[in-house]
Amino acid sequence: MGITPDQHFARLEQEQRRAAIAAADPEGASGRRLEQLLENGTTPEAAREALREVIDPELGIDIVSLGLVRDVTLADGEFVVQYTVTTPACPLSEVIEDEIRACLSRLPDVTGVQPRLVFDPPWEPEQMDEQARAALGWGG
Amino acid sequence: MTGTSGGGPSKLARRMPLMAPALIALLAGLWSGLLRLGLDLPDLRTDFAGLHGPLMVLGFLGTQVGLERAVALGRGWTYLVPAAAGAGSLALILGLPPEIGQTLLAVGGLLLIAVSVAIHRLQPAWHNTVMGLGAVAWAIGAIAWLFDAALVDVVPWLAAFLVLTIVGERIELSRMVNPPESARRQMLAAVAVFIGGLVVAVWSADVGLRIAGGGLLAQTLWLLRYDVARRTIRMGGATRYMATAMLAGYFWLTVASVTLIVNGALSGYGFGYDAVLHAIFLGFVFSMIFAHAPVIVPAILGVKLPYRPVFYLPLALLHASLAARLVADAVGATEVWRVAGAVNEVAILLFLVLAVTSAIRARGASAPQARAAS
Repeated sequence: MGITPDQHFARLEQEQRRAAIAAADPEGASGRRLEQLLENGTTPEAAREALREVIDPELGIDIVSLGLVRDVTLADGEFVVQYTVTTPACPLSEVIEDEIRACLSRLPDVTGVQPRLVFDPPWEPEQMDEQARAALGWGG
Repeated sequence: MTGTSGGGPSKLARRMPLMAPALIALLAGLWSGLLRLGLDLPDLRTDFAGLHGPLMVLGFLGTQVGLERAVALGRGWTYLVPAAAGAGSLALILGLPPEIGQTLLAVGGLLLIAVSVAIHRLQPAWHNTVMGLGAVAWAIGAIAWLFDAALVDVVPWLAAFLVLTIVGERIELSRMVNPPESARRQMLAAVAVFIGGLVVAVWSADVGLRIAGGGLLAQTLWLLRYDVARRTIRMGGATRYMATAMLAGYFWLTVASVTLIVNGALSGYGFGYDAVLHAIFLGFVFSMIFAHAPVIVPAILGVKLPYRPVFYLPLALLHASLAARLVADAVGATEVWRVAGAVNEVAILLFLVLAVTSAIRARGASAPQARAAS
């Protein structure tokens, strides 16, 4: 008794986010790796690991595993993230940018996040990592 | 709201003027659908029932597809597609001389071809070609309608617009499962047979539609083999929901294509016509819409629309009522057909209500968090 509908739905959304992340990374390996990396401060490597929380809803796979995160650089506490999408006809780039911002803003000592959409070189399925390929049933 | 563009009107305020005509066209399309079912409702004008197909396919979905491409490309001129299609729908709904709305819709289709060329320049891939052929089908259908072709001859091109657009998108996604090189040739052949059949149908509807049905079946079997949905249905939550809706859609596409192969020409506006059209437009297209709303609404309007398991309810209602409708079509049970058709619309309205409430709740939920963060 006592929780408002807004609180209920905020909690529901958080649970769904955690469930999506857990489904994409069932053993929590990414979460543990992120903790380890953050021990050395909020580095580009840690940021890249944190971006595994941004998940493509249709595929249930994170954007790092899909090979969509091209480059992560850090200058004065501000992260510049070069990323791509699989097709220029896809209207999801703004949503992905919002999620990249939200995801990295949660890390310690981050003053800003600048996502940049690039199309060159074009994305190819071979840029997906082993985890993504396994989830999508690539041979062997 | 987690501001992305800083000052100025929110994304919702900027995009809603282009989205609103699509939603109005959907509601007007649903209303005209009820009239076509023979329900005793006020019709705004004598020709209103005849607008059902064009409003649903070009008014609602044409505007929607155009808006998605414009948001994706981010170039000013590409927003002319949803603007033209939206204006055309409003012109038709308001009862202006039909040539005005029809011309605007045709212009929307031609502009979408130009947008498709731009997309292909950025990414020269065959899935973009297939989507571009969908735009060509829109233009052909709209121009034919403008030049007074009968709706029964226009509708196959409207179906082709949606089928080829969606199939192109699914081909793009299928890259994730690493299909063999031969798969590309097979799908291109299927698309060629499909379009070839529609062209032949201009001269001989019976022969042409059977061929088109064969091409449609081939596309469907290809998707049943290579669509990511076959993998992603094993995952949970929103991903499984989307995959379920897509695979259910392929079942109806199979039903539609087999019916076309067996029956050939859709003689007049009878039960065969009703069955094939609604297997495609409801069973396949609307199932896809139910699947992707949680992804597309945030992308276009910047409004969160979290998936909730209750979304399965309108999906199940849509498919169950469609099954009843097609059985009624097959045996000629008019009353059952009428009720089933009305329930099809209830399913769509139920989905809209659930989507709107999910979005409203999500907005209320994120606002306190944003205030806490700033």
